[in-house]
This record gives sequence, structure tokens and C-alpha cells, in this order.
Amino acid sequence: MVVDLARCIGCQSCTLSCIHENAVPENSFRTIVSVYELQDPGELPHPGEAQQSGATRMAMLPRLCNHCQDPACLPVCPVAATYQRPDGIVVVDADRCVGCGYCVQACPYDARFINPDTRKADKCTFCAQRIDAGLLPACVESCVGGARVFGNLNDPDSAASRLLVAHAEDVQVLRPEMRTQPKVFYIGLDQRLSDKVEGEPTLWRPTPPQEA
Amino acid sequence: MNDIIEMVNVTRPPAWLPWAVQYFFLIGLSVTAFGLSLPGFAYRLQSWAQASRLALLGSLTCGLAAPVALLADLHQPGRFWEFYTHPNLHSWMAWGSFFIPGYVAGLLAYTWAVLRPDLATTAGEGMVAQLYRRLAFGTAHLAWLRNAAAIWTVTFGALVLLYTGMEVMVVRARPLWNTPLVPVQFALTALGGAIGLILVLDLFYRVLDRPMAVRLSGFLALVMLCVLGGGVIWLALGLFHLDASTAVALAILSHYGAWQVTAVWAAVAAALPATLYLLAPVRSTWLCGLIALHAAWMFRWTIFIGGQGVPKTGAGLYGYQLPLGPEGLLGIVAVAGLWLFLLIPLAELSPILGPRQFGHGRRLTAGSA
Repeated sequence: MVVDLARCIGCQSCTLSCIHENAVPENSFRTIVSVYELQDPGELPHPGEAQQSGATRMAMLPRLCNHCQDPACLPVCPVAATYQRPDGIVVVDADRCVGCGYCVQACPYDARFINPDTRKADKCTFCAQRIDAGLLPACVESCVGGARVFGNLNDPDSAASRLLVAHAEDVQVLRPEMRTQPKVFYIGLDQRLSDKVEGEPTLWRPTPPQEA
Repeated sequence: MNDIIEMVNVTRPPAWLPWAVQYFFLIGLSVTAFGLSLPGFAYRLQSWAQASRLALLGSLTCGLAAPVALLADLHQPGRFWEFYTHPNLHSWMAWGSFFIPGYVAGLLAYTWAVLRPDLATTAGEGMVAQLYRRLAFGTAHLAWLRNAAAIWTVTFGALVLLYTGMEVMVVRARPLWNTPLVPVQFALTALGGAIGLILVLDLFYRVLDRPMAVRLSGFLALVMLCVLGGGVIWLALGLFHLDASTAVALAILSHYGAWQVTAVWAAVAAALPATLYLLAPVRSTWLCGLIALHAAWMFRWTIFIGGQGVPKTGAGLYGYQLPLGPEGLLGIVAVAGLWLFLLIPLAELSPILGPRQFGHGRRLTAGSA
């Protein structure tokens, strides 16, 4: 998947369509658009002048499972419930998953969680059920700005491949130092957001789970 | 002013619940307490006889309760079956599923082997006394059986310590965990906790002579100073950028007051037993023990619950409020209750603390005559 951040408006329609398509429980998310307010550095001051702040702008960052080529979640699974399909999509065999949460710990992107309904590992599957039926992932289908582009990266003529070639100098992945070879690519990613973000913590969080 | 404000993001709750803290705490105590039972039972050192009995009591009760806490963290205990039908041997956790039963089975066999003489010499004529004598399966001295069980349990105990440390250490995504010091500190705090458990148990059962209690307290102080040394090494690795993960963990955590308080708390808990040992060696034994037990538990709580509170990509820390139900406080209390449930009959009815007399003796139990 390729995400053109200049086209993302942070509307969360991807978040909602994912929840509806995959019956994601309340307060759990397979994908979400993180929203940041960034203060750009100002121009260097002339001698004797105070440093001026740069422009303030919003930055969107859709997050989801990166379907890494070398996923950290895969080798740790004690029962091999997490596996990689031949097309590269990383999925969880829910019948086999024991809900031990080891994959949740190992994922460098906080993309996995224990589903509070099934008590098993849950994550984005690129809507594998839709892919198998010849459809696009729900988040791609519903993206208002066309920011999310899905396709076969092994096919040089796919929309995703062409987009990567066209923006070759501005393509990044999240946390490359983890050496997991993520397969979600970002165009126009601010470097300050590629690792653990050093900033003021979240202003909005989901409500805490209700006591049963 | 910070130049980034995170407006919207998601909070990920901990995937390893307080059950996991209890498991790592109890299994660590069990393995190291088992090690402390060896001088008295396997090496027959007279000075260690009573301390090793308390150690075996602690090892057995913790070793039996720990797997229950682990199963509870799977949310559905029957899921354990998948570990044996579809093991992924690239995962330390999968190896652990073989090491745990190997260790617990060895511990039970060892307990039986070393208690055979006490079972055989159970005094009294009641049904329980007869049953105990039968459980000894003869009076022949079977040193080979005791030694074989001890070697088996030492091996699997070491493997349990290895896997519990490695399982956490290999998680590159969590810089606080991804350090070779984690297995070492797990083992050291567990050893300190096991000695502490002996000293605390002695407060109730009064089987240790004072010189031995003081000797154990000194040993405990030494272990806790080693834990403190481990903490200093971790700090140095981070401060001087000698280890990338540690440096990242230190950079993230040092900004937060809660973590600064935790660091000071840990340092005080590690240094206090040595101070008390020097100031009041005889009177402080059980208090030193309690502090060491607390340190072993808090270390695991901080690593697991605190560690999972550090977002891997988002800003700041995830908030954590201890739930009152099975996923939080009730889980912690339940495991502690299970441990007590095992401790009381094993201490009062089994010959772990010494040969028993049923039917006529002072340790007569209701309904046993």
C-alpha cells in the first residue's frame, strides 16, 4: 500500500469503514489516522534578532499493519498462528491463536491488539476477504482524497508501483531501523513522525472500556 | 514549547496483564528457591537443613501456582493445547511451554524423593499416617533417585530462567526490554525474592536458628547489591550510548516524573536490605525478606505494565489504571490466594517442614484420627 499524505485530510472514513467491514470492537482500531500539529522551524535569525517560529500546520498519518516482508510478529508466535500469505499479506489464524499477546509486544508499530471480544490477536489484514473477492481494502475504497493506493508491488504497472516510481525520492517507511521491511509506503512523511513521536501526548483518546 | 502536538491517536491497552507479572514473579521465586533447597536436601549440609525445608516449601507452592497464572493470561485455559499441537520453535515462548511442565514435574519428583525418609517415618496409626508411610514406597535409601530428580530439575529450572529472560529480551520493539540485563536482573531479583520468602516464611514457622537467618539475610543483602549494580550498569549503558536500545529507553523514560520516582524507589529497595543488615542484623531478617520480595514483584510490574505503557510510535505514555476485575486487581489477589491455599496445607500437613505425627501428636489435624 502507498499512502500519499498530501491527499489525506484526516477525515477518518478509512477508520470507520475498517470498523464496519471487519466488525472491529469499540475502542479497538485496525487502522486510524493519527493527527499532529507541527510547528515548522523558522528561518535562521539575522544577528541580533530573536528566533522566529515557523508556520504551524496539521499533519495526518494513517497507521495500520505494515505487512512487513520480515515481520517481527511472525517468529515470536508460539503456535505459528501468524503467517504470511504468498501475496505477502500477514494474517492471523484465529482458530489457532491462543491470545498470548507476544505478537502484540513484538510489533514495532503498535498495529496489533488483543480483540476484547475474541481475546485473540487482531490486526489489519488489508481486508484479505475483499482482496480474495477482487475488491480493494475497505479503507482504500472509502478514502475521500484517494490518499491510500493499494496494488501489487511486484507488478510494475500497478497504480501503487507507478506511484512509488513517480515519487521515488520522497518515499519512506515507518521505523526503518527496525529492519522489518514494511510494505506500507508513505509519500511526503515528515521525518519527525517516522519513529516514536517526540511531542505533546495525545489530546484525544478512546474512552476507557466499560466495566462489564 | 514542543513543536509537535499529537491531536488524535489510539491507546493500546497492555496485552500482558497482571497475570503475567504474577507468573514471572512466582516462577522466578520457585526456580531460585529450589536452588536454595539443594544445600540441605541434595548436599545434606546440616546447617542448611531447615532453610532448605523452607526453600522447598516456597519453591513448591510458587511452582504450582505460577502455571495457573500463566494459563489465566491466555484468557481461555484450554488454549494451552495449541502449544503442543502446533509449536513454533522459533519462539522462546513455545520452548517455555515444554520447559515449564518439565520443571514442575521434576520439582514434584524431587520433593517426593527428598521427603521419602520423612514420609516413611510418619508417626501415628491414623489413616493419614498410614497413607503417608505408603507414599514413601519403602524405606530403601535411594540417593540415585534424589540426585537424578535434582539434576533434572536444576536443568529445567535453568531453562525456565533462560526462557523467561530471553522471551522478554528479544522484543526489539520495546527498548526497555531489549537489553541483555533483563534476564540477569530477572534471575537476581528472583534469587533475592526467594531468600526473602524463606525469611518471611520463618516469621510464621520459626524453624531457622538465628545465626542461619542472619547468614541468609547477609546473602540477601549481597544479592540486592548485585541488583543495584545491574541497575547502575543499565544506566551507564544508556547514558554513554554503549547500547542503542538502552539509550533509547533512557531517553524516553527520563523525561517522566513517574519513571524517575520508580528509579529512586528501585534503588532504595535494592540498597535497604544491606543497610538494615548492617544496622540490625538479627532483628531485621524478615523485614529484609519482605523488601526483597517486594522488589522482585515491583521489578516485574515495572518491566511489564510500565514497559507496555510506552507507545512504540505515538507521543508520551499510555495511561494505565488498574482494573478491579480479573484483568487487574482481582487477578493479582486471586493468584496470591491460590498461593496461600497451597501453602497452608503443605506447611501444616505435609512433612516438608519435618516428619509428621498423626493421631496422637501435637500436630494432630481435625478428622485425621
